[in-house]
Amino acid sequence: MHNVVIVGGGPAGLSAALAAAAAGAPVLLIDSNPRLGGQYWRMPSDDVGQQGEQHFDLETGLILINAVKARKEIEVLSGAQIWSATHKDGVNTLRVIQNGAEKIINTKNLILCTGAYDRTLPFPGWDTPGVMTPGGVQSLLKGHGVLAGKKVVVAGSGPFLLPVAAGVVKAGGEVVELLEANNSARWLLSPFVMLENVGKLKEAFYYVKTISQVKVRARFASAVIAAHKNSEGNLESVDVATIRGNFKIKKVRNVKCDVAAVGWGFTADTSLAGALGCKQIVAKDGGVVVSADGNQQSSIPGVFVAGEITGIGGAELSMAEGVIAGINAAKFVGCKVEVLKAHRKRRAKRQRFADALIKSYPIKDGWISWLNDQTVICRCEEVSVGNLKYAINELGATDSRTAKLLTRCGMGLCQGRVCGRSVVDLVASELKISPTDIDRFSAANRPIILPIPLGVLAAGE
Amino acid sequence: MSQSSLEFTFDDQTITAISGQSIGAALLAANQRSLRKTRFNNNDRGLFCGIGVCFDCLVVVDGVSNQRACLIEAKPGMKVQRQVGSDA
Repeated sequence: MHNVVIVGGGPAGLSAALAAAAAGAPVLLIDSNPRLGGQYWRMPSDDVGQQGEQHFDLETGLILINAVKARKEIEVLSGAQIWSATHKDGVNTLRVIQNGAEKIINTKNLILCTGAYDRTLPFPGWDTPGVMTPGGVQSLLKGHGVLAGKKVVVAGSGPFLLPVAAGVVKAGGEVVELLEANNSARWLLSPFVMLENVGKLKEAFYYVKTISQVKVRARFASAVIAAHKNSEGNLESVDVATIRGNFKIKKVRNVKCDVAAVGWGFTADTSLAGALGCKQIVAKDGGVVVSADGNQQSSIPGVFVAGEITGIGGAELSMAEGVIAGINAAKFVGCKVEVLKAHRKRRAKRQRFADALIKSYPIKDGWISWLNDQTVICRCEEVSVGNLKYAINELGATDSRTAKLLTRCGMGLCQGRVCGRSVVDLVASELKISPTDIDRFSAANRPIILPIPLGVLAAGE
Repeated sequence: MSQSSLEFTFDDQTITAISGQSIGAALLAANQRSLRKTRFNNNDRGLFCGIGVCFDCLVVVDGVSNQRACLIEAKPGMKVQRQVGSDA
């Protein structure tokens, strides 16, 4: 029997590994982090020590991680980065770097659980040291026991801002402001879903309670629209605006802080699935995700996908999808096992919650009005809004792919992971057109998954 | 919980890290926010995404440039330098 090969050791990957192993399949779990858990259950080293107060549900994570470690059918490859993936004649080839050496893995079946990262929007000064993503602030807390700053502004949109603000408070930091760009009443759009997912409400109340204990109150219809640096070049203050429903600015005030954690939900990391050729679709929030059928199978037979890469939906949905993907992958390699109705019901309920999230926290294109010509768009290649406008208005670019070639926007080391999505929106806005799916797919895909030193290539085959 | 610590250098400064912390986390704990100067505009950059996605926290580690401070675990005696432009 062949191995079920799983990429990603977060909620989806752990669940998939356990489900496949329970069905009798040998599993190879490849994870880029030094320790299992993914971003959601980011594990610190033993010396740093468990940061229990930074988690809402650490117990579930520890149970899954320990179960994976205890299963002798599961082999874990930690600290292993995949830099290239190709699909040919039914075989997927993964090139993995672990401890500076390359391993090549060929497999007919795969489960991709590559997760997501913070979606960011550019704004003047967002490249100042001290401006971070909420996920970055949280990873420092969970994984390293380090509080990013003393006076922290948490801003953007989405429920993830709550645990990050609560985490700063628990670690002894001051949350100067907690700013949600959307209106809280948007949750009333989905009353049934709220009642059905009481557990999620409990989680939200837990964070709100933590935050309100130190008298921090969330402000709605507010956003960080600019950052200012001190003489040493570090963050000194941010401009906070009250904004309209379309995100256009109403009124601005200045707030002193040393860290601004600003994030706008998440972007699925579809790089690996894209490199293999899995069909992608544009989700309701404009993000590119991997298409999955009811069995969590992608457009490539034998390649399954689970978790955030199939659509942003949180850890519980990721686990539900992971179980179904694990069972089906085991079936694919010959195990006698079936997905139960209960598995599908669990996934459906959590999917409805994920859909309600997207409806409650839309990102409106009024954010483009916060920018000026000097605002950096591509942080890697230091391309400004002015450069992008020049490519469109003077050099005649009529789509984001051409604008990218003319400016190098999105062609730096991060390969457009940070700016790609925003560039598509900006170019379309400047041209007064709607972005096409092709623009969005192009911004989400990259030929090399990870830039690697030439020495590694030279040492290979 | 035993917290074994270690030391490495950032330019001329000695930085103390807890074993298992990333270079970036240890530097931030030591209030070092600017980790490099950009190639074209000579701007300061520091930790941004914190999880290896953005490539903004690039530093030179033991003579090798373009290393992500947020991902690389601090080791005793490491020589970390602020990256200026695309190389040291």
